Amino acid sequence: MAGKSGRTIEATPQDVWKKRIFSWEGMLVVLFLFINIFCRCLSPNYTVTNVLREMPKYLSEIFLLLPMAYILMLGEIDISVGSTVCLAATVACMATNAGVPFVGVIFITILTGTVCGMVNGFILLKFPELPSMIVTLGTQIVFRGIAEIMLGSGGSVSVTNTAGFRALSGEIGPFPYVFFLVLICGAVFVVLSIKTTFGRSLYAIGSNSRTSFYSGIKVGKIRFLVFTLMGTFAGLAALFLTSELYGANTTTGNGFEMDAIAMAVFGGISTAGGKGKMVGGLISAFIIVCLRIGLGQINMNPQVVLIILGALLICAVLIPNISASLGLKKKKVK
Amino acid sequence: MSEYVLELKGITKIFPGVKALNRVQFQLKPGEVHALMGENGAGKSTFIKVITGVHKAEEGEMFLNGAKVDFKGPRDAQAAGIAAVYQHPTSYPDLTVTENIFMNHEIKKRGLIQWKEMNQEARKLLDQLDADFKPTAEMGALSVAQQQMVEIAKALSTHAKIVILDEPTAALTANESEKLYRIVDKLRDDGVSIIFISHRFEDMYRLATRVTVFRDSQYIGTYKVDEITNAELIKQMVGREITDLFPKPDVTVGAEVLKVENLSRTGYYKNVSLHVRAGEIVGLTGLVGAGRTEVVESVCGLTKANSGKVYLNGNEIRVKNPTDAKNLGIVLLPEDRQKAGLILEWGLGRNVTLPILKKFVKNGMINENEERNLSKRLLEEVDTKAVTIFDPASSLSGGNQQKVVVAKALAQDNMKVVIMDEPTKGVDVGAKAEIYAIMGELAKQGFAIIMISSEMPEILGMSDRIYVMCNGSVTGELKRGEATQEKILEYAMEKNANEKSAVKKEGVN
Repeated sequence: MAGKSGRTIEATPQDVWKKRIFSWEGMLVVLFLFINIFCRCLSPNYTVTNVLREMPKYLSEIFLLLPMAYILMLGEIDISVGSTVCLAATVACMATNAGVPFVGVIFITILTGTVCGMVNGFILLKFPELPSMIVTLGTQIVFRGIAEIMLGSGGSVSVTNTAGFRALSGEIGPFPYVFFLVLICGAVFVVLSIKTTFGRSLYAIGSNSRTSFYSGIKVGKIRFLVFTLMGTFAGLAALFLTSELYGANTTTGNGFEMDAIAMAVFGGISTAGGKGKMVGGLISAFIIVCLRIGLGQINMNPQVVLIILGALLICAVLIPNISASLGLKKKKVK
Repeated sequence: MSEYVLELKGITKIFPGVKALNRVQFQLKPGEVHALMGENGAGKSTFIKVITGVHKAEEGEMFLNGAKVDFKGPRDAQAAGIAAVYQHPTSYPDLTVTENIFMNHEIKKRGLIQWKEMNQEARKLLDQLDADFKPTAEMGALSVAQQQMVEIAKALSTHAKIVILDEPTAALTANESEKLYRIVDKLRDDGVSIIFISHRFEDMYRLATRVTVFRDSQYIGTYKVDEITNAELIKQMVGREITDLFPKPDVTVGAEVLKVENLSRTGYYKNVSLHVRAGEIVGLTGLVGAGRTEVVESVCGLTKANSGKVYLNGNEIRVKNPTDAKNLGIVLLPEDRQKAGLILEWGLGRNVTLPILKKFVKNGMINENEERNLSKRLLEEVDTKAVTIFDPASSLSGGNQQKVVVAKALAQDNMKVVIMDEPTKGVDVGAKAEIYAIMGELAKQGFAIIMISSEMPEILGMSDRIYVMCNGSVTGELKRGEATQEKILEYAMEKNANEKSAVKKEGVN
């Protein structure tokens, strides 16, 4: 067309591997190895078998991390998932106690989570100008409120027939089922985010929802879909949590949303949207899980573990910020 | 008293890796309006920031009324009587006009803000500028032109002797510009010296006595405005000769492609009918707020019209959302390309392919090789000045960003109608010519083109046919031969200012 200058533009990515290694995700891999060596030195019980045995306790939170990462990529947030887990877990226990066959329990639990997610998604779809933080703060209170009414005056429920849940927490060799499920789901989420139009849309909406809308991306639909997905996975998390605890109470799932957000942010997924990689979120989740197991094994006070994790999170968000501001100074030419 | 109120000599400003200013000089006479011109990236903005103390020059000297000065920061410049009004009003939209004017230099007594005095003082300043709004009005409710007036009032409130206006007319219509010209005249008559940055030649001819040209971070020369021709000036700015700014090709116009019939949206526009044929460039002009953008937004499914019909190739279409428009081949190049046309932090390639990702999907996954090849080809086709397709869009100049948006439109190979909203806004003269050339090329290829523009020269230079809108209605249609600036303006203005328009006024802004 107007190409009178005959200028050519390079279209082959350069130094792909170098960039991968020197990325935040590359650093997380190193940190993951380091944390494992550290824990091994700290505790003689820190063996593969032991770690895998303790892992299911923490894995349910990784189910929350996966869709939460998508929500953050969209530039949104969902702080109602802890309550959704509580409600779904309550439903799971009560359904089991009411004699519903276990397949039905699985279905009902996941459905409960999905409906909660749809409620969030629907409100945001109909009123796109509302901030998701406030909407999910509202539903956080509502969902937990419903769970508390169901739990009644005792405030807790225990599963009487644990057979189904016990089967769910089974193992293949040293590996618990849930470990495989987390890995499979993680892989799917990673591929979806980098290889599909859906993933690209997530980043596009998170970076600039107006341009995305103008470009014909169905912004509202995708947002609705992701919030619903969040609910579905909260149901899944509730299922596996119940198979660890064999019960639910009013504090079930408390703070889970913050753990999931923390994992994602530590993994380099910015709360501002459009940035970060799913892989980073997954690695950081395993870093946190391993650190918790390791520090738990040497009987460190759980409150101290929390302080360490909090400090680590602040460092994690600080480092890219510092390097970004250094980079900005270099680039600030005009 | 020295000959110059402000003189800069041998100013060099280095940013890591780049010389943003290379030994430039500048002289401002008392009570003169001095235009500063040059392409984007020529160093004008950096230069202004050196004067206002935002940046510190590595080399060079600055004299104020003959005395050497050394500003440590913007406060020093302000104290010395230098004030700048920037391109994008840097205001606080939720505060009142008075609060904006006196931000950081409130009138205080014993630590308490004197609201009454401040409002009176603001009233005085606004009267001086013939402003038609109250000092207690909320800033965000004002039009861009009015906000600019507040910025000027703010400059005056600091008793500035030198006022710098950075592209003040970029967002203004012809009328509003005229009002601004009168304000500048008045300031000059009051003895204020003015530095005026603009891409619009009309501004320069109307206001300035002298013009200084920068190019590639260097000082090119200072000329008396009435002694230099337009072509010469462009040559100095661009560094090469531009033979034809409006390369409008002769195209045999084909069949009607898009037709809008009696389209209305309450509060925005009413009974708008227009059509565009294949290979035709239709100009849509009028004052800002006349409803031009609102009409095409409805055509593209961004908003919903209340009534009326839209036809594509003779068939009635219903566009409910931008996805429908995309699937039908109606493409909008939005006015605000940074916020609605591009994802600035993304690479150029991904920006280009954003609307057509589905095309590259194989087995559910995006074939990135194919994607990269296509974006490379399209970006080269529109001659984008970039090194790789991975360069972030934010790194390009306005003109090249617009080319990326054009490439993004071209990627949609079902495209039939191209709607360009202010395609050369914020684009410098060299890149403007290139964008006009691309537009001409698109017409040659048989696309139906609607160009919304407030710039008279480009409307007259590029359009086959011109629709003029006023207050939400199409008030006139002119053919290429018969259109003149006067006729357009006549249609664009309300015939009777007292006559209440058909459209609610509040909705129009």
